[in-house]
Amino acid sequence: MNSKQNHKSQAQNTEKLREIPKWTRKYAQNRTLTIMVLLGMLGLFSMFIAAIVGFTLGLAVAGFRKGNIVLGCVGIAVLIAVLAALVKFYIFIFKKFGGKNKGLLDQIIDRWIYSREGIASIPVPEATKKKKWLEITVAIVWGGLFLGTMYLGMVNFIPVKYVQPISALYCVPYMVLGWYFWRSPRTGPIFLLNPTLYAIHAILIVAGVPIFFSSSFGAVLNMSLPLLGYGYLTFIIGHLYSRYALKKLKGLTHLEGEAANGD
Amino acid sequence: MEIDKIIHEPARLRIMMILAGLEQADFTFLVTTLGLTRGNLNRHMEKLESAGYLKVKRSFKGKVRNTSYQLTQEGSKALAQYWENLDAVRRSGQP
Repeated sequence: MNSKQNHKSQAQNTEKLREIPKWTRKYAQNRTLTIMVLLGMLGLFSMFIAAIVGFTLGLAVAGFRKGNIVLGCVGIAVLIAVLAALVKFYIFIFKKFGGKNKGLLDQIIDRWIYSREGIASIPVPEATKKKKWLEITVAIVWGGLFLGTMYLGMVNFIPVKYVQPISALYCVPYMVLGWYFWRSPRTGPIFLLNPTLYAIHAILIVAGVPIFFSSSFGAVLNMSLPLLGYGYLTFIIGHLYSRYALKKLKGLTHLEGEAANGD
Repeated sequence: MEIDKIIHEPARLRIMMILAGLEQADFTFLVTTLGLTRGNLNRHMEKLESAGYLKVKRSFKGKVRNTSYQLTQEGSKALAQYWENLDAVRRSGQP
């Protein structure tokens, strides 16, 4: 009886091992901490640039308005110096991480963040390798539509309330198709959460829920906040899911005692 | 029905299953995931490599040496065959 039970439990344990590739894939697909750090760095840098350019521009405008030519000229000179430094910085960044070194910054951050866990990667989708030009073209068209909608909202051609629902008409298909052709299987289905939330947000606005800004920057905020916010939320959920997947994976693969230490 | 003894060893079966879900994984990932000692994992990797089931890529990431592993086509086939044979053995009621 005991031998029969042992045999059954051994068979069940072996059966569980069939789930290893599934959890390994789920873990690797959701390692989003690198992109979160990259986005965070980009956000902080953008805020720093906006603050420094805004301050120097404000200084110049205030100087000229008050008739203080010296202050105005100092403001302009500082602004030019800031812009020149920015151009120099961009050239440096491009030389270091652009062109042939594309992806190097991601790799450095990835190694830094996941150095204790190691590297586990999923194959790059075939479409990404073969149809890079199509991906770039579609991204440019999407960017044009996005900025165009934002502009039309800013000049009140499109009511500020509806800029996000209108943008959802092309943003949602772009994100879904982009994931399907150029991201999957490297990133998992969790990334469809972003277009789903963006679509729900649009539906709620059309249904009359007041989840939009109507200030002068309403068009910009109504479009960029949901896009960035839901994107970031998706990455956070992805990261948490990768922790869960790793725990499940270790539960299946960890060997104890002799099996772990001997041959 | 012959069960592949190289794959049937618990640690090696887990290594093969981990790599089956990925394009490649490095040594650190396998050590932390399996909870094996570095020396023990090394021995298992050598056995799998000599059987032709794994492809090893050695590179330098900055100043640190990095070793990545990838399942070969032969390894994928052997793993699929292993599960088929195991199922067949179970169906036939052999211990």
